Amino acid sequence: MYPFHHPFDRPVHYEGLFPVTNRYTYGIASEKFFRALKEEGIILGTHCPHCDKLYVPGTIFCETCLSELEDWRAVDNVGRVDTFTVLYKNLDGTYRTEPEIVAFIRLGDGGLVHRLAEIDPKSVLIGMQVAAVFKPPEERTGNILDIRYFKPV
Amino acid sequence: MGLRKVAVVGAGMTQFVRRAQETPKELAFKATRAALDSCELSIQDIDAICLGTAPDTFDGIHMNGEYLSDGVGALGKPYIRSYVGGGTGVFVPIQGWYHVASGLFDLVLVVAEEKMSSYYPHPQGAFLTIFDHTTERPLKPNLLWIFALEMNRYMATYGISKEDIAQVSVLHKRNAADHPAALLGDKKITVQDVLNSEVLAWPVQRLDVSPVSDGAVAIVLAAEHVARRITDKPIWIEGVGWSLDTAYWTNRDLAYPRYVEVAAKMAYEMAGIKEPRKEIHIAEPYDPFDYKALHHLEGLQLADRGKAIELYLNGSAKRDGNLPICPSGGLLGVGNPIAAAGLMKIAELFWQLRGEADGRQIPGSPQKGIAQAWGDLMQVGTVVIMGK
Ligand SMILES: [Zn+2]
Repeated sequence: MYPFHHPFDRPVHYEGLFPVTNRYTYGIASEKFFRALKEEGIILGTHCPHCDKLYVPGTIFCETCLSELEDWRAVDNVGRVDTFTVLYKNLDGTYRTEPEIVAFIRLGDGGLVHRLAEIDPKSVLIGMQVAAVFKPPEERTGNILDIRYFKPV
Repeated sequence: MGLRKVAVVGAGMTQFVRRAQETPKELAFKATRAALDSCELSIQDIDAICLGTAPDTFDGIHMNGEYLSDGVGALGKPYIRSYVGGGTGVFVPIQGWYHVASGLFDLVLVVAEEKMSSYYPHPQGAFLTIFDHTTERPLKPNLLWIFALEMNRYMATYGISKEDIAQVSVLHKRNAADHPAALLGDKKITVQDVLNSEVLAWPVQRLDVSPVSDGAVAIVLAAEHVARRITDKPIWIEGVGWSLDTAYWTNRDLAYPRYVEVAAKMAYEMAGIKEPRKEIHIAEPYDPFDYKALHHLEGLQLADRGKAIELYLNGSAKRDGNLPICPSGGLLGVGNPIAAAGLMKIAELFWQLRGEADGRQIPGSPQKGIAQAWGDLMQVGTVVIMGK
């Protein structure tokens, strides 16, 4: 017989841990993007003159032609709902007290995945215009949640 | 074997630094752009892309190969990421080589990237989880002390002193002072400096080890008929080899890297090299630790067992010696962003063989060079031989 007899109906086990902690730099593009978000309350993109494409959030290169991008542009804080979902359950399986709406909001040729609020989930429509609602400047930290949510225009 | 000839036609790299502001993707982009610009190609010319990066834990992004893909221009192209630990930087050009040698693609971009500084507080932490979870991990092993065990075994087997081994670190760090992308070049470093540096895990001291680094390197590979259109100085990949030793480090000979020997013999046979000590003019053995360069030179059959140190003591290893070793400055001097460090050695052979290594140039028009890396669970050897 296998040498490890165990009183319980399961294999003998050993507790382990897979620790991973990180300290990320924002990067060249993201640092510029988040400084503008925090300090000016604006959303920045970069434009590729060869492909006529406006990347939002801005990047330092065009993924299509691989040119270096230097043309930074503020985009309108208003975009369109490209698609959305409504979250009813938490990760631990419990029900949310309030459903949460998450949408992909098209800005330029890119966009942001973010929360939608100030609207009933049943009233959300694909294609509707939504605007970014920023935290007050003193509460902003250079984080994607400096935009509290998007709301219908 | 019905394989096509494959040339390296371009190379580029970022600075190797301790902590880059760039994201991993931005580092990969900068190296890619530099490599394409060096041979005046655009990303549209490239048929397929091979990317190498070591554990996802360094960059801190799970599925890092996919995350990096747009930075290297992989959009809409055949793309594959390889990972054989520290051996990745010399494996990924082998992968690129068979993409072209097979006849499947004419122009392949090969990129290697690593951003070790993201892992916090220290990237050694990433290695806590590569060991057996019951027999080893309770002791909290890391690579420094595993290699201290190996170094001690190597020194004891052949009676080599720490003073002699320190010569390796001194030569590589001095060489790196001539490399524009180097992190730890130092023209004035001495054996005493190495011996006086802090002891990390005896016999390994601070200056016996390569530094944690961020960086990226890229090269462009071409089939023969395309290579001749792009450049009049193609550098051919003449032989490749790779091999695994046992996964369990206690089951292998710690004083001799058999995994390098098997990989090297595969590469020598492909390249038609019968007397490597005469036919190889530049060696870039993998040198994350100073003793490891010696270990690997012996595995590469460029020195008898326990005798590689003599190449350093008699001056052969210098740039103007009989067998220049790590003219780039190696991992000990240029830096060690894991996968990128191995590909840096391939780029160095490319520049040296073309006569474009500037202040690092080896005199006398070298004809053939060898680069090697080592990794996985300290068991893989990866070897590439290049020639004019
Ligand atoms: Zn473009």
